[in-house]
Amino acid sequence: MISSRTEGCTLTGALSVTSSVQDAITVIHGPDGCAHHNFSLLHALHFDNDQLILPSFLSSSLKEQEIIFGGEQALEDALAGALAGSPGAIFVLTSCVAAAIGDDVMAVCSEISGCPVVVIPSGGFLGGGFSDGVRSALIALSDLADGGDPNGTVTLVGEKNLEYEAEANYHEVRRLLGLLGVKVQLRFVRNIDVSAIAHLGSSSLNILREESLTDVGDVLEDRFGTPYLPSFPVGFEGTLTFLSQVADALNIGSREAVSSEMARQKEIIDQFSELRGRAINVCHPGGMPPLFLNELLELFDLQVKERGQNLPLPDPVPVGTSGISRMLSRWKRVLHA
Amino acid sequence: MKQIALYGKGGIGKSTTSTNISAALSVMGLDVLQIGCDPKRDSTRMLMHGRLIPTVMDQVRERGDKAITQEDVVFTGYGGVRCVEAGGPEPGVGCAGRGIIATFQVLERLGALHADVVVYDVLGDVVCGGFAMPMREGYAQEVYLVTSGELMSLYAANNICKAIRRLSGRSRGQCRLGGVICNAKNLPDEKQLVATFAERIGSTLIQFIPRDPVVQRAELNRMTVIEYAPGSDQAEAYRLLARNIIENRRLDIPEPLEIAELEDLAYDFIAD
Repeated sequence: MISSRTEGCTLTGALSVTSSVQDAITVIHGPDGCAHHNFSLLHALHFDNDQLILPSFLSSSLKEQEIIFGGEQALEDALAGALAGSPGAIFVLTSCVAAAIGDDVMAVCSEISGCPVVVIPSGGFLGGGFSDGVRSALIALSDLADGGDPNGTVTLVGEKNLEYEAEANYHEVRRLLGLLGVKVQLRFVRNIDVSAIAHLGSSSLNILREESLTDVGDVLEDRFGTPYLPSFPVGFEGTLTFLSQVADALNIGSREAVSSEMARQKEIIDQFSELRGRAINVCHPGGMPPLFLNELLELFDLQVKERGQNLPLPDPVPVGTSGISRMLSRWKRVLHA
Repeated sequence: MKQIALYGKGGIGKSTTSTNISAALSVMGLDVLQIGCDPKRDSTRMLMHGRLIPTVMDQVRERGDKAITQEDVVFTGYGGVRCVEAGGPEPGVGCAGRGIIATFQVLERLGALHADVVVYDVLGDVVCGGFAMPMREGYAQEVYLVTSGELMSLYAANNICKAIRRLSGRSRGQCRLGGVICNAKNLPDEKQLVATFAERIGSTLIQFIPRDPVVQRAELNRMTVIEYAPGSDQAEAYRLLARNIIENRRLDIPEPLEIAELEDLAYDFIAD
C-alpha cells in the first residue's frame, strides 16, 4: 500500500490530544523510538506554528526482554516515574508491540492511586490511523468529566492541535460566538489543565472541529446529554448558518449577530473586488469542489479555466468569515490583483 | 551435522521421545546437542537426571545478553549429550515465540550450535513464527512428527505439515518432513492408522513406539529408558528409531489433509 498523506499512526493521533493537557504526563508503553519519534514530530510541528512545546512524554522503554517476558513491570516502573512528577493525570498509550504481546495495561493501571489514570489503546497495527487515535483519546479523556446542568456555554471539541491555523480558527469561532453573547467554557482538548476537563459535561452545546468527530459528539451526547454541531463554520453562508444553529441550540436570538456578520462579509467582498471576473484554476483533492468554493466562484464571478491561474486551497478548509478572508488575501497575492 | 526437530501435540511425548533419541545416538558414539524449545523447560530433564537446567532466557534476563557464555547455558547430561533449554516467560505473559528467536540468536552468537546431531524439541504446536524458528534456513532440515492414533494428535501433526510446506516453499527453504513417529496410546490398529496418515500426507511411518510402563518407571527414576532399562524392548524401539533417523534419506514436502479427510481416515479405523 502506498503511504497516504491523510492518515498515519494511531499513537501520534492520540498524542496530539493528550500532549495538549498541560499538567498531565503521557506514558507511552512501548519502545523508546515510539516516544522519541512522536516527541520530535510534535515538537517540530508546534515549532513550525511558532510554539515552543516540549511534550511531556515518558516511555516504558520496552526492549526484547520485556517483549519476551511481558512488559507489565516496565509499565509499572514508568507509572511510578510519572507519579513522581505529581501530574494532574497520567495518560497511558499503548504502542503496537505492547498490544501485540497482550500486556494487561488496564489491570496494571487500575492499581495506581493518587492520580487519575486514563488508558488509551493506540496500537496502530489494529487498523486505525491518526484520526482514530484522536477520536479514541477524546473519548477516553471524557472519563475525567463530571456531569452538570447546562450553563449556556459552549465546548469546542477536537481542535486540530497540529494545524497551522489552530489558534486563528479558535479566535474566529470565539468571535462568532461572542456576537451571540456566548462563551467558550472549554477547549477539549487544547492547552488546558486536567481540572478543566471536569466541566465537559456542563456546556449547553459541543461544537466539533470537523465532521469526522461525530462519533465523539455522539458519545458526549449519550454521556452528558449535550447536543453538538458537527463542524466549525465553513464559507460565508455556512458561517451565517452556524450562527443560527448555535442560537437555535441555545434557544437564543441570532438576528443581530447574523446581520452584523453579513455586514462584515459584505465589507470583505468589497475589499476583494479586484478578484472579480478573473480566470482561475483551483486544485481540490477528492473530485467535487467544496461548497464554499462554489459560493466564492459565484460571488466574484470567477471563471474556472484549465489555463486559469492556479490558486491554493487550504487544507483543512478555512474556518468562518476570517478564514475565507485570509484565503482571499492569498489569492489576491497570487493573482497580483 | 544433522539437525532434526520433533514437533507434535502437547503431551504426546515429544520430550520423552527426544531424550531417548538423543541418549540412543550418544550410545552410538555420536556427539549430540538437544535444545528444548518450550517455555516449560523440561525437555532435557531426563538427560539431566531430573535437574531443570537454567534456561537461555533466564540467563539473559539475569546477566544480560553480552555477559553469558556457553558454560552458562549448555549442560552435559547422560552419555555426554549437551543440553540447552530456551525457556521463556511465565504462562500468560509476554511472547514465548520471541523468546525462541532470541535464544537462537544467543546460541548462534555463542557458537553453540555444533554437534554430529542437533535435536530440537519444540512446543506442541507451531502457534507463531517464533516456534517455526527451528525449521528455518540454517537449522533443522528434517522434521519428525510425533503423534498417536488419536484424532486430536493427528490434527496437530497435520497442522504442523502446513508450516513445513510453507517454509519448504521458500526459495532457500530446506526444511522437509523426515517422517512420522507413532508414540502409541494402545488404540486398536493404531500403527496402521498412523502409517496410513503418514502415507496420505506424502511421508512414511519411521518408527512405531509401543506404549510401555517402563517409560513411566524410567521417568520416576529421572532417567531415559535407554539409561534405565537398556535391555528392554522399549529401549530397543528407541534405538531403532534413532538408527532409522540417522539413516533416513527420505525427505518430503508434505501435503496436509483437509479436516474432513482426516476425520474420514480416523473414522474408517474406528468403524473397523
